Amino acid sequence: MIRFGLFRIGGFGFAVTLEQIKKILQNSTDYSLPHLPGAVAAVLVDGGELVPLLDLSLLAGAESQLSNITQGYRVLVKSEYGIVALPADLSGKIVAEEKCELSATNEQKMNFGIIGKFIYQSEEYSLLDINFLALEMTQDIWQNQFDTGGARRHK
Amino acid sequence: MTVVGDRKLIFRLGGMGFLLDLSEVVEVVTQITDSLDPGRSDIGQGIVSALQFRQTWIPVVDPALKLDVESTVKMRDKTAVILRGTEGNWALLVDQVDKLMAADNFQSCAIPSLLKVAAMGFYSQIQLLHNEPMIVFEPERYYGSAVVSV
Repeated sequence: MIRFGLFRIGGFGFAVTLEQIKKILQNSTDYSLPHLPGAVAAVLVDGGELVPLLDLSLLAGAESQLSNITQGYRVLVKSEYGIVALPADLSGKIVAEEKCELSATNEQKMNFGIIGKFIYQSEEYSLLDINFLALEMTQDIWQNQFDTGGARRHK
Repeated sequence: MTVVGDRKLIFRLGGMGFLLDLSEVVEVVTQITDSLDPGRSDIGQGIVSALQFRQTWIPVVDPALKLDVESTVKMRDKTAVILRGTEGNWALLVDQVDKLMAADNFQSCAIPSLLKVAAMGFYSQIQLLHNEPMIVFEPERYYGSAVVSV
């Protein structure tokens, strides 16, 4: 049985498989470093290792919404390139695949790092391509080569 | 026995923590307002001013420019860390000096491969102090062998 973690950040709902989730942290501390790529909001420290925090709210619009979220989770997710952290508000939940309904997508407009959409209790969640996002959002390719429908470096 | 080389000086810049080998530090000057001459600058070299230190003028380097770090501390309120360089002493402007710590308080921490490109040219090592990342400050990246008159 496949299960998904469903989360929201700044009005953007996203889903990752439970297998990909390493850990969910609450009230962890974010740290800034010089010259972080525009889509990396900060780093956090987990088990003595630095983890880049991807600003997923940029997937939903031009401006980062992270500063509006005063309390939330940091979802640590495994990618081929290392662990990345995803910000989420406190509404996260874990549900079985059969409880979700696959939604039709406008593939041309919404496929940047998104490989599908779920509807769960009338709310839409984008299933993320973590490997793709981990690479694109940390290498500054993000704002240079892709039309992301609004996602831009937020300096 | 703790020797100078085993200790690190921790300073802050734009809220970020940095550490520096104490063996590279000549002195820390907290009141610099009356000793600065901003007219003697060479921005191309990262030199924002000159500082009178021990009866001579030395270059003042603001690492926030190269690091693209936003600091809310005005130049006159900053602290100058005087460093020993190959061309003589020079001053590093920092927001504040926190403290000295023995080297064994720090824990090595690898820069994730996903962030290595971003760090390139600015820093190459990070250490953790009480789980907070501290950037190992490498003075030669900011002021080096080129002779610059001030």
